[in-house]
Amino acid sequence: MSLSSFLLLFLGGIVTGTFGAMLGLGGGVFLIPFLALAFGLPMHQAIATSIVAVIATSSAGAAMNVERQIVNLRFGMVLEIATVCGAIFGGVTANLLSGQTLARIFAILLLFVSFMMIWRARRSKSENGTTSQNGTFPSSFKDEASGTVVSYTVHRVPLVLLVSLVAGNISGLLGIGGGIFKVPAMHMISGVPIKAATATSNFMIGVTAAASAFIYFANGHLNPFIASPAVLGVLGGSFLGIRINRRIKGTALTWVFVVVLLLVSIKMFWR
Amino acid sequence: MSLDMKPTESLPPQHVVDRWIGRTLQFGVWSSASLMVAGLLVRWLSRAAAPLPTENPAPGEIVRRLFSTSIDDVTLMYAGLVLLMLTPVLRVLTSVIGFSVERDRKFVVVALIVLGMLLAEFFFSMR
Repeated sequence: MSLSSFLLLFLGGIVTGTFGAMLGLGGGVFLIPFLALAFGLPMHQAIATSIVAVIATSSAGAAMNVERQIVNLRFGMVLEIATVCGAIFGGVTANLLSGQTLARIFAILLLFVSFMMIWRARRSKSENGTTSQNGTFPSSFKDEASGTVVSYTVHRVPLVLLVSLVAGNISGLLGIGGGIFKVPAMHMISGVPIKAATATSNFMIGVTAAASAFIYFANGHLNPFIASPAVLGVLGGSFLGIRINRRIKGTALTWVFVVVLLLVSIKMFWR
Repeated sequence: MSLDMKPTESLPPQHVVDRWIGRTLQFGVWSSASLMVAGLLVRWLSRAAAPLPTENPAPGEIVRRLFSTSIDDVTLMYAGLVLLMLTPVLRVLTSVIGFSVERDRKFVVVALIVLGMLLAEFFFSMR
């Protein structure tokens, strides 16, 4: 591979990692279309590269959030049992499907992600949760925006376990983190504050992604010449995206990306 | 009922498991990123760069090559990628030890279940 290909992969990783972090989607949602459409990579290799990039961004983010006690460690570890089961099944299934089938399923996922982004943009940003203090997995964290300590407990765990199983399955099948499913479930079903739900979901993603990454690696889909520059780019881009995200607010950007995702979805479907 | 927000209350003291998990993840991410950067640099700087193997080598083979005298760019990149894939496994292992130190038996069992699934899947895939 030429130097220009390495640079293109690294820059592509930075751009997709930045967009992913800015929108809270993780790197995979943009990295896979970049690798598959712009770089012409087979779908299985694109997913394998993305799943390793997802481990990197999840682990780097979780390292900070765990020490700041935003992650609900015990709740996350229980949900990991479900996500890992789902991811193993998803990884095995992906290796039995053709690249074209995976691209079409991914295109449908992008439609869902676009829908979720519109929902998130319309949702009130305030922490108007309705949880009581008589659930399980009690936890508290300091909300840096308000300077208050938020205490909460978790409700309806079996239902969120089921969503986590599906999220893990889609993660293993399509090489994304699955936070787009878990965060709303943890927040709306279990009453976990959105910041804690996002941090706990991100914490779980590394373990979920590792479960299917082994399968892709063992099946020879991980090319180090492609994965190394792309993963380093996504990791750098995710830090950049978090910094930009603190400065840029507003939903106009969300709408731009919704249109981009819809166009990418169409392109992936008829790839 | 609303979220319990208390401006005057301070957070409970950080658990040993939180700190250990944070450090494990940081170690895994930065060590693997360093290995990948080293691999890419060796690739650019050396004229006789190693060709890509036809299939992904076993992790044991990567470790053997990493500690041999003839270390190459492909081995460094593979080592970085495999270490990155194993970082979450190390994190779960750290959780098992951390929960054991805190005598939280229920979550030692939960962490052991997750660790068992990951290890079983790892060895089954790599056999």
